[in-house]
Amino acid sequence: MLDEPYRWLEAVNNRRDYIEDQLRGGSPVVGLRYEDGLLLVTIGRGQRKTFEVHDRIALSAIGHSADIERLRMMATDTASVQGFQSSVDDVTLHRLTNFVLGPTIKQSFEAIFGSAYIIKMLMAELGVRGEGDGFVALNYDGTLQSNPDREVIGGTHEAETAMQNYLSAADTSGSSLTDSLQLALETWVVGWELGLQQADADSDEDANEGSELTTDKERLHEVLRDELQTGEIEGAVLETSRRTNSKFRLLTSDEIDTAIADWL
Amino acid sequence: MTNHKGNFLDLLKANECQIQLDLPATSGNGAAPAIQETEGTTVLAVRYKDGVLIGGDRRATAGNVVMYDRADKLLQIDEHSVLAIAGSPAMAYEMARVLEHSFQYFRRSQLQELSLEGKLRTLSRLIRENLPMTLQGIGGVIPIFAVYDLLNEDENGGKIFFYDALGAHFESADFATSGSGSVWIRGILFYQNRWGEKPLADMDEQEATVTVLRLLDAAAEYDSATSGYNPKSNIYPTVKTITKDGIQDLSVERLQEIYAESVETTYAR
Repeated sequence: MLDEPYRWLEAVNNRRDYIEDQLRGGSPVVGLRYEDGLLLVTIGRGQRKTFEVHDRIALSAIGHSADIERLRMMATDTASVQGFQSSVDDVTLHRLTNFVLGPTIKQSFEAIFGSAYIIKMLMAELGVRGEGDGFVALNYDGTLQSNPDREVIGGTHEAETAMQNYLSAADTSGSSLTDSLQLALETWVVGWELGLQQADADSDEDANEGSELTTDKERLHEVLRDELQTGEIEGAVLETSRRTNSKFRLLTSDEIDTAIADWL
Repeated sequence: MTNHKGNFLDLLKANECQIQLDLPATSGNGAAPAIQETEGTTVLAVRYKDGVLIGGDRRATAGNVVMYDRADKLLQIDEHSVLAIAGSPAMAYEMARVLEHSFQYFRRSQLQELSLEGKLRTLSRLIRENLPMTLQGIGGVIPIFAVYDLLNEDENGGKIFFYDALGAHFESADFATSGSGSVWIRGILFYQNRWGEKPLADMDEQEATVTVLRLLDAAAEYDSATSGYNPKSNIYPTVKTITKDGIQDLSVERLQEIYAESVETTYAR
């Protein structure tokens, strides 16, 4: 029955609904450029969410943890072998996302008898000599979107748009790590709250449209305080000034505490 | 996709990516190799007050021909380990490269640092896999592996390991030497450590550097495959320290100073 084109389209669309449902509760990830490199921030619940892929490439994702693990290993293995075979300079995010991860995700998404990856990924790359820095967001259907300065992934498309809007209202160029971390956390709240509200609206069809969420900073900090009862801030940087070839490191608890000290 | 559990060598093999160390042995007939291999070296590591200080000369030779006078034989593998190579550079550089990528791959894939024991075993495996080449008389590598062990409960986490051609590793309490020039200085180090003004472990960075530079000079005096310092071309031995803060190169300016103060002056007496 699936040999009829429209049936196939219908099946793919069902898949889209199913995956979006699964991703809805995901904790957003915010990627930002700051004065010494690139920053990835999220709030996790036990599972680690930001990873080192190669010397200058980091990865973060929302979705099913087994799928995240599979694609993370694929990215790490591919980058490691390529970096060894020729040179670490030949390992680039563009090659990883466009030639390896993107096609793989798309293929499994459209192979409607197999299982699809339930995942959205946000990857970051620190360029050489200040050129070619940037973020790439990969969607569950294999499409990708890139931005040199900022990128987000969240549970729903609307949440991502709201986060993008919140970010673009702020000037992020040349900010310190602490300032950028604060902005990223506020942005996280914007996306997280909207995602929650949409989930509620879905489960209760009769409910009115959710109340308008404001982006008043005080209120955002308050929501964050509540979320930190159960969640933990996780951040990673690709740091230009780091002396080793490998530029990735996780943020220390001191750095995180400094950023949220005034809000607690 | 298979899970290689952090083992980089297995990952390379699964990707049919051959490393030089895997080269099969040709049918050896016991005769001397027909090609002159590039080799010859003096490298040494001493355990001093803050960790490990490690030094190496710069010469690479093939027979009695000087191939290269700016070779760097102290290779940083990660933030707290250095491989000092002696023997065939082709194999040694490849070994260092595999080692560096192996440690990184383990950390990135398994989300934890490879343990010190795990690092030592990885190097053992590489040396063992290189055995066919070593037995043919070309391609042998006998390295020193020096680390600062952050998990060490002792005050000084500096550790020095040396290997035999079959890949066995041994920890040395005070110092280790390798390369063709090492025979000339091993006894001096023993003497200095036992009856010198101060044992090596009590020396500060300056004192340990003076000792290492003097020993490299002594090795260069007797071993044609070891270079001394060459002020005309501004070529000095390389010296690195490994402490809890990481790895530091001693600058050429610093080495120049120490040479002028403590290595050359003794000649003039």
